[in-house]
Amino acid sequence: MKDILRRHQVLSEEITDILNKQVKIEAQSSASYLALAAWCDVRGYDNCAAFFFKQSEEERKHQMKIFRYLTDMECNAISPAVAESQYEFGSLREVFEKALEMEISVTDAIHDIVRACRKAGDIATEEFMRWFVQEQIEEEFVARRTLELFDVLGEDKIALGMIEERVLHVEYDGGEEG
Amino acid sequence: MTTETVTSSLGVLIFSTDNTHLYQCDTTEQFTLVFFGQKVVFRFCELIVFKSKIRKIDLFNLFNTDVPDIELIHLPHCDRFFALSTLQILELRELFSGSFAMMELNSIIQRRIVRKAL
Ligand SMILES: [Fe+2]
Repeated sequence: MKDILRRHQVLSEEITDILNKQVKIEAQSSASYLALAAWCDVRGYDNCAAFFFKQSEEERKHQMKIFRYLTDMECNAISPAVAESQYEFGSLREVFEKALEMEISVTDAIHDIVRACRKAGDIATEEFMRWFVQEQIEEEFVARRTLELFDVLGEDKIALGMIEERVLHVEYDGGEEG
Repeated sequence: MTTETVTSSLGVLIFSTDNTHLYQCDTTEQFTLVFFGQKVVFRFCELIVFKSKIRKIDLFNLFNTDVPDIELIHLPHCDRFFALSTLQILELRELFSGSFAMMELNSIIQRRIVRKAL
C-alpha cells in the first residue's frame, strides 16, 4: 500500500490549524494597524500615521508568508474573516500602548506555534517559524522604544511634535553596538 | 482478525464500519468513500478537508431539540451536499479515526522497513 499520507500530508492537522489561526491573527493586526494609522492621520500626526501604515503592510506580509507556506505544503489555507478594529483612543500615547499590546500578543501566539511544533516533532515548521520569532523581537523592541519616547519627552504639544519627528527613526540594531 | 489485504476495483480497503468503507487506489492516489451505498472520490487534501469538517461538527448542538438533528455538509470538490444524521456523523468519525490510524501505521512501516532499505 502506497504511503499517500507521507506523500501528501507534510503538515499535521494540528499544525495546519494553528498556522491558519496565525494567518487570522496577522490579518487582524494588519487591520488594527490601519485603524491606528487612521486615528493619527486625521489628527495631523503624519509620521505616526506613516509608521502605522508601514506596520500594517508588514503584518500583511507576515500573513501572506504563512498563507503561502500552507499552500506550498498542500494544506488547506483559510482566508480569514477579520473583526472590527478599535478606532477610539484618548491620546496618542494610548495608540502606541495599543500597538505594544498587539505585538506582545502576536509574540505569544508565535511562541505557542513553536511549542506546538516541538510537541508534534515538526522540525520543518519550527525552522520556518524561526524568522517570525526573530521578527517579533524587533517588532516588540520598536513598539517599546516608541512608547518610551512618551516617558522621556512627556505629552505636551512640543513633546508630541518631537515624537512625530523621531517615530520613523526608531530601529532595532540587532543588539549590535553603535 | 484477518490480516489479508482486501482489494477491489476501488483499491485497497483501508477501514470499514457497518455502513461505510474507505478505499485507497495506489495508481490514481485517490480515495473512495462508500457511504450508505453512495460513492464519493477524494484526492488526499479533499479528504483532509472533509475529515476536519466532520470533526468540527458540534454534536451537542444536534442533540438540542430546537434544531433538526441533521447537519448539512458541502463537498466543494464535487459540489455535493450530504445531509448527515447524528449516527452517520459518529460512524464517519469512527471511519476516519480507524482509517487514519491505518495510514499512520502504514507510514511507519514504509519509513522503518521499506524506505530504509532503499
Ligand atoms: Fe506580524
